[in-house]
Amino acid sequence: MDSETAETYVDAAAAALDLPILAEHRPGVLTYFKLAAAMADLVAGQVLHLEDEPAAVFRPIDSTDVGGEKKRNR
Amino acid sequence: MSGPAELLGSSAAAIAHAVRSRGVSAADMVEASLARIEATDGVVNAFTELTVERARRRAAEIDAVLAAQADPVASGLPLLGVPFAVKNLFDIAGVTTRAGAKIERERPPATHDSPLIARLERAGAVLVGALNMDEYAYGFTTENTHDGVTRNPHDPARIAGGSSGGSAAAVAAGQVPLTLGSDTNGSIRVPASLCGTFGLKPTYGRLPRTGTYPFVASLDHLGPFARTVQDLALSYDAMQGIDRRDPASVERPVESTARALADRIDTLRIGVLGDYFHDQAGPEARAAVAKIATALEATRTVSLPQVARARAAAFVITNAEGGALHLADLRTRAADFEPLSRDRFLAGALLPAAWVVQAQRLRRWFAMRAAELFQDVDVLIAAATPCAAPAIGTEWLTINGQRLPARPSLGLLTQPISLIGLPVCSVPVWGCHPTMPIGVQLIAAPWREGLLLRVAHQLEMAGIVQAPVATLAPT
Repeated sequence: MDSETAETYVDAAAAALDLPILAEHRPGVLTYFKLAAAMADLVAGQVLHLEDEPAAVFRPIDSTDVGGEKKRNR
Repeated sequence: MSGPAELLGSSAAAIAHAVRSRGVSAADMVEASLARIEATDGVVNAFTELTVERARRRAAEIDAVLAAQADPVASGLPLLGVPFAVKNLFDIAGVTTRAGAKIERERPPATHDSPLIARLERAGAVLVGALNMDEYAYGFTTENTHDGVTRNPHDPARIAGGSSGGSAAAVAAGQVPLTLGSDTNGSIRVPASLCGTFGLKPTYGRLPRTGTYPFVASLDHLGPFARTVQDLALSYDAMQGIDRRDPASVERPVESTARALADRIDTLRIGVLGDYFHDQAGPEARAAVAKIATALEATRTVSLPQVARARAAAFVITNAEGGALHLADLRTRAADFEPLSRDRFLAGALLPAAWVVQAQRLRRWFAMRAAELFQDVDVLIAAATPCAAPAIGTEWLTINGQRLPARPSLGLLTQPISLIGLPVCSVPVWGCHPTMPIGVQLIAAPWREGLLLRVAHQLEMAGIVQAPVATLAPT
């Protein structure tokens, strides 16, 4: 991903997410976004097939799985 | 019979034996631990919180039960009177779980202990405090801007590694014989390597993460640090068991690994991981792998395919899940985040969904390739870090002629393995660097922690690996 595309995407995605990027943070954010893009390119270079499902698989929850512990807000 | 200070520098098993046989009291051991922390933590900076009252109260309860001979079960507890500490992302009742973050310390104290703390205490151990880490576990150096850097006990000018840096440093400094940490991309194995301790990252799902501050739910693991393999095994055995509040926690029978440490290993098929794992290892890391391979008579070099892509998948999943987890605070108070990881969190919140889904698909593909390899081999060997501990503040590493950013590159050799949840025991090797230790990963197929601990124990018995207490001048 070239720098111009990365900057355009970061600014648009941050606006869509209502995530302000302060001017002093922007150069670092762009550096790391471009690094992530390079990593994503590496991942995309692997040929995968339909049976290669995502590793994160949901497990249904029944009533015995529900704990009583207080949850953090997130 | 050794005194409490000498026992503190030996092992959890030796302490439990001494407490059981009344050679020393649990209270003596707590005081010895607090004294060692007082004498050394001005240099090391491993602890962010001491639970002094709680530890003294718990030790007194243990001593009272033993004195009254009221509970015959108590004297058989495997960690009787053993002081331990936990990374400060574990919930401790009455203490705010800071997760290395400035933001979190404004939150109310935890109301419960995390289950792993409770399980260690049921085995007789005594919690003495909480330990420093990289903010929200996003780092490999424990250069925490809010709580200060944790220094390597074997050379305080060097980093301890991270993100569980306090957990490794406290064990290496002889402050406690046992600690707990977390490992998402290498955060047990990297500091264990740099501080010269043993560390166990169990199979993903083996130890429940309930009551700990999450980082990347897809990849988070918990595990122990110790100076002997027997102590790793005793603590691991005490912590096993499903907790349904953790969606990744898996129901499996408890495996008693401590009892099987001396079982034979001569029939095991052991392979050295080549290609990527050789290319990304510096000279001292390669020497450490060679030393372990020679000791185990492992002459085969084997390969996993596309390891760089697997590491990239771990990077993308981590970046995206970490950024999403903290999105609310990133929106309103980004300036309060750790400067060393804030921009990565911000970038991670912006990643396209397709990148993350593709990384999760590659993760499964890579796990299948590893499963195929384990049809033909029982244990894999690879270095834990590309090099021994760098100096504090190091920005760049040169590994075999490649100039790499230091902080993310310390996890180059650990990330591909935790991506697919394999169990790993990191063992400390000396003599490959002029003054510092470096770790080697022993890696097995899922759920085979017992096998890894056997191999590590026999390397320890042969004197190939060891975790001595650092010689630290009192402050």
